[in-house]
Parts: sequence; structure tokens; C-alpha cells
Amino acid sequence: MQSNLNKLENESIFIFRQAYRSISNIALLWSLGKDSNVMVWLAFKAFLGKIPFPVVHVDTEKKFKEMYEFREKFTKKWGLNLIKGKCPPIGQIDPSLPPAARSAARKTDGLKKIINEKKFRGIIAGIRRDEQGTRAKERVFSPRDDFGKWNIKNQPPEFWNYSNFNYPETVHVRIHPLLNWTELDIWQYIKQEKIPVVDLYFSKKGKRYRSLGDQDITFPINSNAKTVNEIIEELKVSKVSERSGRAMDHEEENVFERLRSKGYM
Amino acid sequence: MNNKFNDDEVLNIVIVGHVDHGKSSFIGRLLYDIGEINDEKVNELKKASKKRGVDFEFAFLLDALQDERDQGITIDTTRIFFKSKKRKYVFIDAPGHKEFIKNMITGASSADIAILIVDVKEGIKQQTKKHAYLLKLLGVEKVITVFNKMDKIKYDQKLYIKIKSDLDSFLSGLGISCITDIPVSSKVGDNVVKKSKNMPWFSGIPFIDILDNFENSGLVVSKHVRFPVQDIYKIGDKRVIVGKIELGSISKGIDLLFLPSNERAKVKSLEIWPKAKKKYFAGDSVGITLDEPIFVDKGNLASDLMSPPKLMNRFESNMFWLSEKKINFKSKYIMKLNTGEYEIFVNKVKNVIDTDSLKSKNNTEVSKNDVCEVVIHSSQFIPMDDYSFNKSTARFCLLDNEEIVAGGIIDLRNYPDQREKKEDFRKNIIPENYNLNEIDRALKFNHRPGIIWLTGLSGAGKSTIAKNVEKKLFDRNFNVFSLDGDNLRIGLNKNLNFSPEDRTENIRRTAEVAKLFTQAGFVILVSLISPYRSERKKARDIRPEIFREIYIKASVDVCAKRDVKGLYAKAKSGEIKNFTGISSPYEEPEKPNLIIDTSREKVEESVAKLENFIIKEFGF
Repeated sequence: MQSNLNKLENESIFIFRQAYRSISNIALLWSLGKDSNVMVWLAFKAFLGKIPFPVVHVDTEKKFKEMYEFREKFTKKWGLNLIKGKCPPIGQIDPSLPPAARSAARKTDGLKKIINEKKFRGIIAGIRRDEQGTRAKERVFSPRDDFGKWNIKNQPPEFWNYSNFNYPETVHVRIHPLLNWTELDIWQYIKQEKIPVVDLYFSKKGKRYRSLGDQDITFPINSNAKTVNEIIEELKVSKVSERSGRAMDHEEENVFERLRSKGYM
Repeated sequence: MNNKFNDDEVLNIVIVGHVDHGKSSFIGRLLYDIGEINDEKVNELKKASKKRGVDFEFAFLLDALQDERDQGITIDTTRIFFKSKKRKYVFIDAPGHKEFIKNMITGASSADIAILIVDVKEGIKQQTKKHAYLLKLLGVEKVITVFNKMDKIKYDQKLYIKIKSDLDSFLSGLGISCITDIPVSSKVGDNVVKKSKNMPWFSGIPFIDILDNFENSGLVVSKHVRFPVQDIYKIGDKRVIVGKIELGSISKGIDLLFLPSNERAKVKSLEIWPKAKKKYFAGDSVGITLDEPIFVDKGNLASDLMSPPKLMNRFESNMFWLSEKKINFKSKYIMKLNTGEYEIFVNKVKNVIDTDSLKSKNNTEVSKNDVCEVVIHSSQFIPMDDYSFNKSTARFCLLDNEEIVAGGIIDLRNYPDQREKKEDFRKNIIPENYNLNEIDRALKFNHRPGIIWLTGLSGAGKSTIAKNVEKKLFDRNFNVFSLDGDNLRIGLNKNLNFSPEDRTENIRRTAEVAKLFTQAGFVILVSLISPYRSERKKARDIRPEIFREIYIKASVDVCAKRDVKGLYAKAKSGEIKNFTGISSPYEEPEKPNLIIDTSREKVEESVAKLENFIIKEFGF
């Protein structure tokens, strides 16, 4: 019988290949975080060493310096076809959103802009069902309308590995190859495959980042985990959720859903 | 029971049952008792409940969405991850509301084990039975039945036994063997994680221990092989066939038979990044190369030689129907089976099954969420397995335009394999033995032959695009040629005018010429208004496997405005008769392989789009 990681890896590879075969113009969202590095790695496995589509970094220009260094280094090392997307100034974002969510919504607008510019029909995003309640309801292949909106009440059925790819030209599809992975799976896979990640995940002076967003709305957690192994051990006993360091998740009960229905990842 | 925690095993559990029988509450209670819920989440929800002026319930943990909490029902499948002392679990919470069957199917199709929950106060309901039936159809045959809300019937043993035996006999009628039954109360916490003190008469173990004791047999190692071809990648000078093994194992040197082409080859190498192992098994996504240069296309099904899949153009299925639309017997559906896509017709509905009584209904009218037995036929031969041979290669979904309308499992008991018939048929139609095969030419030219059929109104831009694409492909060393409707009418089709009959003949001749070019190994671009669907279908049928319909889209107004040749002006004045779009109809393609909208795209964009499409479809 396949081990859990082996099963997840094979499913993800299948999803990547299905996306490449079925959707004409696709790109991978590379947020520089641990999950998107795992995605890049899985894409290497799916396409046997070379990724046949661009990776997109939607840059809020407010990321940590370490993340930008990581981006430059691994774009070169991995031979990625990197497209950098720009985000609009904060003044242009829905003022009814709470402050941190408003900041996060910039990224959504940046993403929509690059999708329209490059006419992408498919966007591969590294979201996981265990992260957050609304993400738990996602499909692997999830259609978005002209405005990037997600219609949560009427999602297409998806069974036995069959999904629908037949959508009007105005619709793009979000592809979620990591949907069934958990945070612990991600770290165990990083360990197994020796996948590089930004240093910020590892503890310095008793604190580390568990999830990486914009610098001004992401906070480190108390932790002494200095290595991948120590992170794995920490997660096995932790009861605090992964996104607890993301300010936007705690502002209002339904803010995440509001962001997502408008096109946030 | 092995008490060690197994970090490497995850069991997927789907929980189904009638609306309000307490699915979400049951999971919520389980997570709470097992100590899996982080305090952050509980506090958040307690605060939210207070704000709304309602009591906190365990179900709230799952109903993470705002509007769901307002309605008090679960809208879509939610995944909940948790672990016991033994192993990790994923709970797939499937909704019980009548209109949400498709979400339940989405959730249940990936489950290892199912929990069917029944409210003992209400007893067995219509949806209890329907869900059980669908579990069977989806291939989830291991079921634990949970009888919830025992507190509401004052833990009455007699009532419990009555409901339990009713359900047991229904399930055995379906062929589902129930692993065990258990009486619980989510509200009080009886028998979920802790053994109940309220039911001394119940000698069984709590629910969580039943789960932990369950051994998942997983994928069986088989001597047979099923390997659906997902895609072909050209890597260096290798043609790598990629896909997921559905049955058996693949290693270097084994023989594979590819269907529907019926050609065989040996596995020359395994292609895995960064490094291949010696052998791969069912569930593994792999890449292989072959020792013989045979044609393999995405959608083909590879197998061992001893017990290959059957080739069928007519078969029966047990199917669930998900659409508001009725089944249309005249309408073509796309069937996705394994990695292939096929055009099929639903020929006949034999039965609509009443999932309440398990008898067939008297009518054959299929409504949304019905389960039915149908006969399906296709003009192509499709490789497939019987469901009893191997589940994963014997189930399909049906698409109608942009909607998945049905899913089904294949029943071949009433139909013989038609492979031999197909071979006879092939023998009869090959008139000459060519010295050179298409494959020889394709390997030399480095691309496959193809017919690129550009249809659209006069002035839509067919010839312009074709000319430009021809040049681009030529520069890429493609053997490519462009056939233009207008040019053909000067020579080969000189004797034809624009009446419907002559248009038909015009298309037939052009398609035959295109076919000759493909036999010579060419990618042939055909620019022809070809206004009728039926005629384009005939053109496609000449070589369906390499025919691609490209719709060059522009409205009559746009084309008339362009009017490069001054024809629209003449048509409008009546000088030209039977002019498509003005005095003769144009039937838009229903499912073109590519749409190029020249009223919105620049010429360069359209050209690049078609060029990339051809390279992806026919390049090596």
C-alpha cells in the first residue's frame, strides 16, 4: 500500500498533468512560501525536470527581504520562467474591508490584473483544505467568472478524478494540487525531498514565522523549532492554527470568505 | 489491534445520512472529545454564537461559513483533519439536503469508508436509503451505521434494535456489508469517544475504537495492468508517455497493448524525475518510453496482453443523473472515461430505480438525482472494463457542453467484446499495402499529420490566418499546406455552384483531398466556410482522430463591414444568391476544438493561438 506522502504526491502530479493537458494557458502562483515551493517541486516531477509554463509572483512589494533574496536565487537555480505581477496602491482597495484584509485584497487585484494581461485560463495555487474553513470547501479545479469571483453555492461536481474543463472564454480555472495536503504533510515532504524554504520559517530568538504574508500584517509565533525536524515535532502537538499569525483572519468572522469570494486564493 | 501511532496512514471517511440526522454534530463531538479542537476555534465560535443569540452547538465547528450558520445546514463537502492514537483521519462531511447530491458524490467518491448516520427518533428516511444506494454506486462498500440521538428515545434498546434491523436488511439487499452498528448521542457524548454509561445493554466499543480497528486493505496488487495515457511529452529526443497506473505494476521490459489502436510494444525505460525506481504500482504517476515507434495518443488505454480491456461501441451503465435538464436521446454527450474523451449518445433508458424500494419505477423519465440503467452507444470503439473486473477503469462521467450531467459505472455483461470485429473491419478497408506507413513519415517529419478545418463566415479571416500559420509552421520545419475554398473552386471544384447540394459535394471533395495530404504526412489547413454542421461532421468522420475543427468567429456585421472582396455588398443587393450569413444560413460549431474570435483578437494573436494549438496537438 502507498504511504500517505506517496499517495498525495502522485495525486498532485496527476492534477498538474491534467491541468497542462486540458487548459490552454496556465501559470503557477509562486508566493515564495513553503507550500508554493512544494508545488514547484511537484511540477518538476510532473514535467520531468522542466516546468513548461511560467511561474507568477504577485508582488505586494511588502514582502520580507529574505523572500526577495530567495526569489532571485531560486529563479536562477531552478531555471524558472518568472513573471512578476504588480499590485495597485492601497487607496484603490474597497475601504469597507478591515485594514489587514484590505492590504491582502491588494494581492487579489494584482492577481486579476496579471490574469487579464497574460490571458491565463488556469492558475495553479497552493491552497490547502486544512488551512481555513472556506478553503476546505474548494474543488481541485475551481472555475472563476470574469471578475475572478468564486460561486461557492454552485460548484461543479468532481468525482473519480473527473473534472470539468469546458468553460466559456471569460472563465478561468483555479487549480489546487495541494488541496488534500496538511501543513504537517508539507513539512514531512520538504524533509523527504530536501526542498529549500525561506529561513524565516526557522526559529530565531524564540520566534519563527509559520506562515508568510506581507511584512506589516504577518507576525511570528513563539517557537524554538530551528530545523525541519523540529518543526515537524512542534506541529504534531500544536493546537494553534497555522494562520494565527495572519492579522486579516482575525478581524471579522467572515472576512476570509469575503476576500475569497472576490478572488483571493 | 496494533496500538502504535502510524504516521504514514490516512483514512478517508465520508459521513452521509438524511438532513438533520446530526452529521456535523457527530463530527464536532468526536473532535471535541478526542481533544482535537484548538481552543482558539472554540472560543471564536462561542463568541460568534453569543453575538447571534444562539446556544453553541458542536455542528458550528464545521459550518465554517457565515451563511451556513444562518441556515443551519451544511452546504458543501468540508474536510476535517484529525488524528486518534492509532492514525490520521480525514472526515468528509457530506451534506444531507436533498438538492446537494452532487456535493455528496464529490465528497464520497474519494472515501475509504462511509458512516451512515440515522436519527433514531426519526428512523430511516428516504435520503438515508438514497445515500446508501449512491455509496454502493460510488464504490464505497464499507459502511459503519451510527444511530444518533439515543438520548431522545431515552436509550430504548428495543426501538434501537428495530431500526437497526430494518436498515440492515435494506443494506444487505443492496449488497453493502455493514462493518458494525453503534448507538450514540452526539449531544451527550455517548459511545463517540467514551463508552456510554447510559446504555449498559450495549456491549460494543466506542466509535473511535471501531475506526481505529478498521484495517484498510487499500489497492490490491494485480497481475493485470491498466495504464491510461494521460499525455505525451517530448523531452529531448524521447517521447515520454505519462499517466497514472490504475491496476498492476509497470517495469522495464514488460509488454503493453495500446487500445483502441491494438498495437503493442515493450517498456523501454521508466522516466521519473529526478531518478526512477525499478518498478511502479497502481496509484503511481509515471512516465515511460517504448521500444517500438507505435502511435500512442492521450486517452489511449494501455494494458497487459493477457486480459486487455474490451473494445465497445455499445454498452450498459448504472448511472446517476445530476442535471436539471432531461436526458436528450438525440443529443451528443462527451463521455470522459479514464483519460479519454468520446462522443456518445444515450440510446435508451432501461430503468429508473426507486432507491426507496430498490424496485424499478414504471416510467423511464429521468429527473435530477435519479439513478437509472441506460444503454449507451458511440460511433467509435472505446476501450473499457466491466465494473466487476476493475472499478477504477470502469467508471465515467458525461458532459453536456459546460456541465457535468452524470456519472456511471460500466456493465458489459450483456455485450460481447468487439475487438475482433474491429480487426475484420480494418482488414476490409485497407485497399493497398503502402511501403511507407504514416508512422514512418511522422517520425521523419517530427510531427503527426493533421486536418485543421477552419470554418466561419466569408471575411471572418480564415484564409489570412491559414496563410500566416502555414508560413510559421513551415519555418518550424513542418510539412504543411493550405487548401483554400476559393482556390479549389477554380480547379477541382469548378463544376460546383453554391446550392446546398453542391456545397456538400464541395466539402466532401475537399475533405478527401485533405485526407490524401495527411496520408503523405502533412498538416493540412483547410479554409472553407462549410456552413452546415452535418457536413462538417462528415468531413470529421473521414479521419476523426486527427481532425480539429477551428471556428473563426466574427459576426455578419463585422464581416460585412470588412467586406474585403466586396461580396457582402453584392449579396445585399441580391446580385449574389445563397450568400452565407445574408441569404443562406451559417450554423455555428457546437463544440469546436478551438475558437478564434477575430473581432476581438489581433491577427498576430490569432495566428499565434492556432500555431501553438497545432504544435501542442501534432508536434512530437
